[in-house]
Amino acid sequence: MKRFTPTNLRSRLTSWYVAVLALLLLVYATIVFAFQYAVLTRQMLHDEIQDVVTVEGLLYFDSFGKLQLRQDYFSRPQSHLLVDRYMEVRDRADNVLFSSPTLHGMRLGGPSYQGEGDRDFAERIVRLDDGSHVFVVSHVHGMDDRTLLIRLGYSLAPLRDRMWQFLLLLLIAIPVALALAAIAGQTIAKRALRPVDDMTDRATQITATNLHDRLLIANPDDELGRMATAFNHLLSRLEAAFQQLGRFTSDAAHELRTPLASIRTMGEVALSREMDANSRRVVEDILEETSRLSGTVDSLLLLSRVEATGATGQFEKFQLCDLLNEITALLALMMEESRVSLELSCDTNIFVQADRSLMRVALLNVTHNAWKFSPSDSTIRVVCRRVESSAMAEVVIEDEGEGLSPEDREKVFERFYTGTATSQSQKGAGLGLSISKLVVERFGGSIEFNSEYKSGARCVIHLPALK
Amino acid sequence: MKPRILIIEDDRKMSEALVVGLQEAGYDMDTAASGEEGFYLAHKQRPDLLLLDLTLPHRNGLEILKQLRAEGIDMRVLILTSHNTVEDRVEGLRAGADDYLGKPFSFPELLARIDALLRRVLPPTEANTYGIGDLSLDTKARTAARKGEMLDLTPREFDLLLYFVQNRGRIVSREMLARDVWRETSRFTPIDNVIDVQIARLRKKIDDPFPVKLLQTVRGLGFCLREPS
Repeated sequence: MKRFTPTNLRSRLTSWYVAVLALLLLVYATIVFAFQYAVLTRQMLHDEIQDVVTVEGLLYFDSFGKLQLRQDYFSRPQSHLLVDRYMEVRDRADNVLFSSPTLHGMRLGGPSYQGEGDRDFAERIVRLDDGSHVFVVSHVHGMDDRTLLIRLGYSLAPLRDRMWQFLLLLLIAIPVALALAAIAGQTIAKRALRPVDDMTDRATQITATNLHDRLLIANPDDELGRMATAFNHLLSRLEAAFQQLGRFTSDAAHELRTPLASIRTMGEVALSREMDANSRRVVEDILEETSRLSGTVDSLLLLSRVEATGATGQFEKFQLCDLLNEITALLALMMEESRVSLELSCDTNIFVQADRSLMRVALLNVTHNAWKFSPSDSTIRVVCRRVESSAMAEVVIEDEGEGLSPEDREKVFERFYTGTATSQSQKGAGLGLSISKLVVERFGGSIEFNSEYKSGARCVIHLPALK
Repeated sequence: MKPRILIIEDDRKMSEALVVGLQEAGYDMDTAASGEEGFYLAHKQRPDLLLLDLTLPHRNGLEILKQLRAEGIDMRVLILTSHNTVEDRVEGLRAGADDYLGKPFSFPELLARIDALLRRVLPPTEANTYGIGDLSLDTKARTAARKGEMLDLTPREFDLLLYFVQNRGRIVSREMLARDVWRETSRFTPIDNVIDVQIARLRKKIDDPFPVKLLQTVRGLGFCLREPS
């Protein structure tokens, strides 16, 4: 069986609170019950002893030598309770000399045992033949040279009835108290946790892009205030780390550019002078590699620039279709050369608001990527349309290449990931698609390679469209 | 008299390479490795052109430029910097620079910029017809012919060829083509691919049918339209 565990903290606090309270009430009730029982029993014993002493004075042997109890004593109103008492008097030989009428001939306990009531008042609980329980006190009493054993008992039934009523009262009162406590606990917990809800709302709004926001602190000295303070400290450190990381990337790129620039200039100046063919080839190779490295550094800088770009800045509105036309026009020649045809079908009424040059790079990279993997005489289809159910524009770019393996579908967006399918000459630094992803996501969109598409790779981009 | 160029650049190797390259291109060279020294030399030598690196020790290149301009010293200033964003560019031009080149730059482009700043070449828009060898271009009719034969060029091919003709004899780098012909703000992998394909196409039309090849690839540097010597 599954244990009941409430998911929200408020209910959990309340259930703990109620459980602890229930346990406390049970312990309390048990102690009170036991104490009450003990007190009443003591009281009864005390009364019985008093009674035995009284009775001792009232017993006498009549002229026939028969033991009698003086009845006139009981005419006193305060002693009427004693009418309920059971009494039996025995001699040493265990013969019953007197039996109160309330016993109706039943024996009050079994045969007397050795030393019963010899020195003191012996107490015990006896079960009568009719099943009722009686609390009995025995006492030995000498009278007229005879030794008598007086047994005097009160029925336990009234006591047990009373205790039972008490127990019932507790059993009713405890659940009621617990119910009230649960309601109160729930209310208190709700009030106490309200600041936490507020904080959660606020924290949800704080993302990587607006790390400068902080939680509001109502009282800096209480637990929640301390938590908020700690959280704000964490945010500050996170923000600083993010900024540092962004600065690091751009600083590193600048630092790389300086020696790259020197290498390039030295190489280019060298090439412009006379030199033997072998040396020339070496310098040419160096320059080609330098150029690749420059491309990588530029991409890194672009990444850090995008990371530093907020999505909420003032950006121009532009027609997505225009941009796609521009991109396909730019790439048309390459496509033609490798006999790849590009079909663009575009809804001209879709506008987006974003950094156009970044979005251009993003879409260009994806399209260029599709071209890289396209075999000759294949087609790249680019479709741009509005998704009816949402305010999103959808750009689908699909090629007829080999497609992507499931593990590549995620990895292609990782930085510096270069798949195995491309030839060395077409291999870039592996930053193109990660730039695309960063840009698209920065402007509230999503990008993924569709897994159901089997005949090639199909990149699906969603962008928030203007109405 | 040879034009005099002052380089203020703290990277010694870069500075040395530039001195060698520019001397060979026919300039007199001075160098300074710090802002103070550069400022002093700019005052004393009054060079025709200042190649200014912005990230200098002790004193920012922009400050030097502003101070020179404030003192009314008139010289062409070309900024060379690795901080190559639009904002930096605007700031540099606002401070009084005449041109701006981001590092790493291509040396042929630097030469072209320097020549343009010192007016050693005519501004390209003034002529209607251009020619090199037996190749001629009419910019008004946007037609090109070789040995009298009309060449069937696309608009892009014509622009590309015109750019080569305007820079005939010079090496044209991919950056220059991307920016000046394709109007792209920077060079990137797809545009490199496009340029290579476009050059191959152009070459097929203007060179393949003829024995003398004009459009040459200079590996490591770029391309050059020139008559083979």
